[in-house]
Amino acid sequence: MRLRGIRSFGPTLWGIALFLVVLAGTAPWIPVFLLTVLIQLLIFSTLAYSLNLITGLTGYVSFGHVVFMAFGAYALAFAVGTFHLHPVAGVALGALVGLALALGIGGVTLRFRGVYFAIATLVVAVAASYIVLEIKELGDGQGIILNIGFEPLSWFYTIWVILAIEVILTYWITHGRIGYGVRSIKSDEDAAKALGVNAARVKLFLYALSGLFAGGAGGVYAWTASGVFPQAFDLTFSLQMLAMIVIGGMGTLLGPLIGAVAVYIPSYIFLTVLIGFQFIIIGIVVTLIALFVPEGIVGSLRKYIPELRGILE
Amino acid sequence: MTRVLDVADVHKYFGGVRAVQGVSLKVQEGQVVGLIGPNGSGKTTLLNLIAGVEKPTKGAISWDGQRIDRWPAHRIVGQGIAKTHQIPKPFLTMTCRENVAVAMMFGNHAQRESSKALEEAAHMLALVGLGRKADVMSSKLTVQERKRLEFARVLGTGARIVLLDEIFAGLSPEELRDAMNLFERVQKEIGFGALVVEHVMRAVLTLSEHVIVIEEGMKIAEGSPRAVVEDPAVIEAYLGTEAVHAAP
Repeated sequence: MRLRGIRSFGPTLWGIALFLVVLAGTAPWIPVFLLTVLIQLLIFSTLAYSLNLITGLTGYVSFGHVVFMAFGAYALAFAVGTFHLHPVAGVALGALVGLALALGIGGVTLRFRGVYFAIATLVVAVAASYIVLEIKELGDGQGIILNIGFEPLSWFYTIWVILAIEVILTYWITHGRIGYGVRSIKSDEDAAKALGVNAARVKLFLYALSGLFAGGAGGVYAWTASGVFPQAFDLTFSLQMLAMIVIGGMGTLLGPLIGAVAVYIPSYIFLTVLIGFQFIIIGIVVTLIALFVPEGIVGSLRKYIPELRGILE
Repeated sequence: MTRVLDVADVHKYFGGVRAVQGVSLKVQEGQVVGLIGPNGSGKTTLLNLIAGVEKPTKGAISWDGQRIDRWPAHRIVGQGIAKTHQIPKPFLTMTCRENVAVAMMFGNHAQRESSKALEEAAHMLALVGLGRKADVMSSKLTVQERKRLEFARVLGTGARIVLLDEIFAGLSPEELRDAMNLFERVQKEIGFGALVVEHVMRAVLTLSEHVIVIEEGMKIAEGSPRAVVEDPAVIEAYLGTEAVHAAP
């Protein structure tokens, strides 16, 4: 039974696992400059998988996802700065703050559908940023600068563990009974309810998980930046997450990783070479993908190459 | 012991519109009850109230002695009452088998093992005559096949009372005969109770043992199919006052 369970994990999960294990094994020998790029890539991958949990799996488009990341970042900066918590504990706190926030926001906004949900998440994100930036204890709108060490390997392994758990959870959620419930909600929520699916609970569960991981990623982000700044609330983070899952393939297991690589690596080059051009390019690419290959890279490969369907998910 | 769905003096107002005004009815497990009435008389609203899609303004709905009228829809399904949609709503991104499997995994006698649900779903599809379509995407089905899928899904939830919203509409005479035979066979085999909303008189009158007629949200007659069609109030509701006087 166990053995069959393991074998049925499928090539995609094994592939991602192999990729992550190779990264983890070679990390100590990767040049520091490259390692910091890799850490940012893993942070963005975690964010992309986080958005994938709600937007990719249920079709509820969240424009305000940056709010969970920013709260996670502020939680770490505040806890480490004020209570001298170990940064890893700060990351855990950031994740919990993300979870609690998602439960609160989701409890209300998930009652809306379609474009109304999207607008609600956007409004909440903007409002939350104004509230945080007004609070004296949270840097009084200037951010919090931390006096902590430069420890790329600790950053790397922390975000690595978060991402690994997130990928496994995504796999678990997209398979078996829950997976069918989730797919039925994405396909027709009313029909799903009429067959006994507790849509409200499934959506809130996914949204809460999504907040948890985005909060954790935000914590690591603040740790790597030795502090947090109001720019953590920048909506372009939300747009980048959306671009990643649209390009990679919404609701798929591999898509967010592919999307994160496809968006982050070019962004990184633009950030250092052609400042400001990145969003123009991302905007054009996302528009073209939405128009011509709405399934994204992974979805399209599955659609047009039937042989890949059993392998790629 | 047979369980009873008991709708007692239920009202539903949408703002100023009184869609349902004090309807009472009972459906026993294993019993087929027909619900007829002119367009806009509140039949679909009544089904929605029972299924928990809408909440009644006044009145009580109980199942097996338990009030269910404030429960969310999915919980009512979990207790054994499920409804078809007037316009079928298949999960277009899934195969027929998966459509029915969702019902089996989340319905009344929920089968928590997805592989078993997928296996059993094929039997349910065979029962409604869609056996050969099990692994076809539901988006490829014709309208009539979608209605059968809708029926299979409701049965897949393990419902003991099914609420059927015009599943016989738009069929040719032969198709209607086939569909009615199918319904009778499946109903005998599974033994569910049914509340059948229908415009096709032939179907209601043949299949139901008891018929309820509503007009403008109120019950105007009930009884055996034969008694109901001879009731002057019913003839008036359907055909107008002159028809009553013209009748011998």
